[in-house]
Amino acid sequence: MPSQDLNSSNPSHDEEDGDDYMNMVIAEPSAPKEKETYTQRRLRKQRESEAKGRVKSKAERAADEAAAREVALSKSLLDSENKGLAMMAKMGFKGGALGSKNNIGARLDPIGINMKEDRGGIGLDTEKKRKFREEVEKEGKRVKAEEGEYRERVRKEREDARLESLFGAAMRVAERMDGEKEEEEAIKNGQVDEITKRTISTKPLKQINVLWRGLVRQREEKERDRRMRYDLHQSLSRLPTYDDPDEDKEDKKALGKDKIQHTLVEDLEEEDPELDAFIALDPAERLHKLVLHLREEYNYCFWCKFTYPDKEMDGCPGLTEEDHD
Amino acid sequence: MADRRPDQAEMPPSKRLKTSDVKVKASTLDPTTNPYLSHRYEIADIDPENSGFSNRNGYSNGNSARTGLSDFKRHTTTAKQAHVAEDGPNNPFNNAPLSNQYFNILETRRELPVHKQRQEFLDMFQKTQILVFVGETGSGKTTQIPQFVLFDDLPHFNRKLVACTQPRRVAAMSVAQRVANEMDVKLGEEVGYSIRFEDVTGPKTILKYMTDGMLLREAMHDHNLTRYSCIILDEAHERTLSTDILMGLLKEVAIRRPDLKIVIMSATLDAQKFQRYFNDAPLLAVPGRTHPVEIFYTPEPERDYVEAALRTVLQIHATEPEGDILLFLTGEEEIEDACRKISMEADEMIREADAGPLKVYPLYGTLPPQQQQRIFEPAPPPARAGGRPGRKVIVGTNIAETSLTIDGIVYVVDPGFSKQKVYNPRIRVESLLVSPISKASAQQRAGRAGRTRPGKCFRLYTEAAFKKELIEQTHPEILRSNLANTVLELKKLGIDDLVHFDLMDPPAPETLMRALEELNYLACLDDDGDLTTLGKLASEFPLDPALAVMLISSPEFFCSNEILSLTALLSVPQLFVRPASAKKRADEMKALFAHPDGDHLTMLNVYHAFKGPEAQADPKRWCHDHFLSLRALQSADNVRQQLKRIMETNEIDLVSTDFNDKDYYTNIRRALVAGFFMQVAKKDPAGKAYKTVKDDQNVLLHPSTVLGVESEWIVYNEFVLTTKNYVRTVTSVRPEWLLDIAPNYYDLSTFKAGEIKTALQRTLDKIKRKQAIKRGR
Repeated sequence: MPSQDLNSSNPSHDEEDGDDYMNMVIAEPSAPKEKETYTQRRLRKQRESEAKGRVKSKAERAADEAAAREVALSKSLLDSENKGLAMMAKMGFKGGALGSKNNIGARLDPIGINMKEDRGGIGLDTEKKRKFREEVEKEGKRVKAEEGEYRERVRKEREDARLESLFGAAMRVAERMDGEKEEEEAIKNGQVDEITKRTISTKPLKQINVLWRGLVRQREEKERDRRMRYDLHQSLSRLPTYDDPDEDKEDKKALGKDKIQHTLVEDLEEEDPELDAFIALDPAERLHKLVLHLREEYNYCFWCKFTYPDKEMDGCPGLTEEDHD
Repeated sequence: MADRRPDQAEMPPSKRLKTSDVKVKASTLDPTTNPYLSHRYEIADIDPENSGFSNRNGYSNGNSARTGLSDFKRHTTTAKQAHVAEDGPNNPFNNAPLSNQYFNILETRRELPVHKQRQEFLDMFQKTQILVFVGETGSGKTTQIPQFVLFDDLPHFNRKLVACTQPRRVAAMSVAQRVANEMDVKLGEEVGYSIRFEDVTGPKTILKYMTDGMLLREAMHDHNLTRYSCIILDEAHERTLSTDILMGLLKEVAIRRPDLKIVIMSATLDAQKFQRYFNDAPLLAVPGRTHPVEIFYTPEPERDYVEAALRTVLQIHATEPEGDILLFLTGEEEIEDACRKISMEADEMIREADAGPLKVYPLYGTLPPQQQQRIFEPAPPPARAGGRPGRKVIVGTNIAETSLTIDGIVYVVDPGFSKQKVYNPRIRVESLLVSPISKASAQQRAGRAGRTRPGKCFRLYTEAAFKKELIEQTHPEILRSNLANTVLELKKLGIDDLVHFDLMDPPAPETLMRALEELNYLACLDDDGDLTTLGKLASEFPLDPALAVMLISSPEFFCSNEILSLTALLSVPQLFVRPASAKKRADEMKALFAHPDGDHLTMLNVYHAFKGPEAQADPKRWCHDHFLSLRALQSADNVRQQLKRIMETNEIDLVSTDFNDKDYYTNIRRALVAGFFMQVAKKDPAGKAYKTVKDDQNVLLHPSTVLGVESEWIVYNEFVLTTKNYVRTVTSVRPEWLLDIAPNYYDLSTFKAGEIKTALQRTLDKIKRKQAIKRGR
């Protein structure tokens, strides 16, 4: 015990020396009842001394201090039993404020203690708090905004996909109608034999109306890929465009390397700014343009799925999908 | 009580009016107007029940009864009459010929703003018992109003005095000196002052400046303040603890003594509160001599108010026209530091930017008076003919706010903080904390810039912060103090019902509760709240109850001489000097006196060494060499003398243990416990921290302590609240003493379970066993 060390070092305290001896004897009886092995005991002692010896960090101490202070400051003493309170009661204190009766607004609680820990100017803390609050509010708004944005984005994606598929369907309708029209014209002109050829388009892509050129191009790309795969499978490990110097014209004709395919492939590889520009448009707009085209050219309403007999298109509710709801 | 008031308040003035009316009418024919007979008339009329004649003769000491005041009738005089009397040629109060200096001062006095309203003041003063007087700083109220009162109240006709209270000792002393000069009398004769431990008055004294605390002490022995015919409470707006108690007391005394005149003087316009408190007493306001002050706010709150303050001061010096600067900061260390930095920066500005010379003066309460006087030195002249004008900067605490008037200030820099006393009964800490000032204080500070000519005030906060963050008025001291001493005083003043005592701002009930509890543990009050013999004795000492009780019980511990010295040492400011430039050397010197058991014993060693022949040979040199404050030691010596006198009158023995006795220091430590058993802390089993007994506050020993050994239990003199909780001036004690000397406080059934209770329980068991063994033998 430190205080005893102190005493023995100071001759003026030997009056108390007897106590130390007493104290030592008395401290022992608190030994545990169950028998401990030497190792257990040693370990326990070690643990205990570690726990005791651990010096709290400055921050921990400061926090403890502040916490103890806050606890004490927030608790009214009037609730506890207290000699002072008993004396006040004898003077007629019945709770409430002190002073004469007509003294309104006298203090009930002591003035709080506010510790200033830095050199911040007046209003800095409030300003900091205000900024912090604003930051939090802004953050909250941003999160909310993001949530809204996400929903909006998903909605738009779905809508676009839907419109895209509608557009695909419209393109097919337009291509078919265009084909039928050409056929009709051909029949009129007596060119029946060409009808069969129509299945494989021989038209250069650029001559096809841009409104549904994408569809044709897609199909042709697919067709090309299919053929390339097929060629590979056939172990004719050559690109269709491969110009074998050993083959002469006859060979080529025999192998079916016709000019048509050639142009097709070249056609596909060629840049098509018109189509690119059209595809870059919003699907809704593309669809709108196509729908208009179908109406003008074929008196066909994409939404009614009906070809009207005349330009008036009597009976069709309107231009847009909503009109047909 | 309350319903009796109005009649009481009205009666005396109406009576007095009637008599004065009669007198005025009668004066035209009445032979009593005969100047040779007037003194008889005077005495017979005004003081019929007293044997005024002999009094008067006694006063005038057999000299010619004719003075400039012989024609004056109490409470009927006019400003004109006083004017004539003041013009001499002889002093109206002692008939001595008046000096040239007197007439010079008289001229300047008559230019003061209050002078214009002298008649108005007299009219109101004569009509009412209690008058509220509002005069801004610089109106001359503190020096002039008491003199106006003298000429009308004529206290010497009745062997009475006029008292004028001041919140501060320094003010009481300096104002008394000033007024003595103005009246061409010797300080201590007609005009004197009385402050704690110093009384400069004599049998001739008719005007006494005193601290409010001193008047309160006098009231303890003379509940009706019968010595005084008029009491002037000056600087009432400062709302010191003593002023508040005095106001409560005077409110009651005014009922018992209708002849007593009371003037409440305040510097702020919050006077309605005083009027209301004194049952709608009439108010007289005198404008100060002030110029407009332009106020500037910062656009953003400041990150570091000290840094911002320095920047602002230097900026003013660089850009603003001639005029001195007053900067408000919070404490000694901050002020000294700021002074150093401003001087350094200013030197650079002079070298590099051809700025004018700049002198910087610190100003704070603990500064020696000679150094405080330096703030009145004029600003330095330009460095060379035609150069830019010099300037002085005063960096001060809020004592520069109201109490000191410094002319020439044109710029005020106000960071908005001051060190304020706080007390919270819940953790029983009384400490000085840096806190935001009030709006009223801020206005007061700004006003300082407009004393000589239009000025500017730079507030280092935003206008919004001024409006929203600052409270209207500073909390009166009574709400921020431990009231143990006050309660003892009130008890001695004969006020038994402390709960309903009519204070202007009653404190929180818990504050009173704590004070009563403390006094009960100190055995100054019994369980009914009545004064005990010890309490009566303790109230004789102008000390905190704990100190007084320690002193009174010290003979039981055979060391009253030593405890007397220690009490004196604890009542004066810091003994040890530790300049920033020589901290190490100062610490080495302190170590020479150190006692391993604590700071109290170390202080005692210092005092004993100071009284030794070596030190007394050249005290100044000795103190300087040992880094001690001569001023503090001398005033401790003085306080010791005063306390010794009180001990002797109360027959408290002065004894000592032989220095070579092994119990010499033990006895002193035990005597310490007798007073400070409520300020004890026990060491935490882990770490350096201590925990205060009963309040469970974690505290650290202040770094200044000399306590060398690890002490389990300590008593402390002071709990200092800073960013850390510190206890300062500590001495180690033994738990047995606590249980033995203060068994009521250390009644273990009142303790919360915990480490401290366990430790005390162990000690108690030990004592019991020891006793059992002794009995067994």
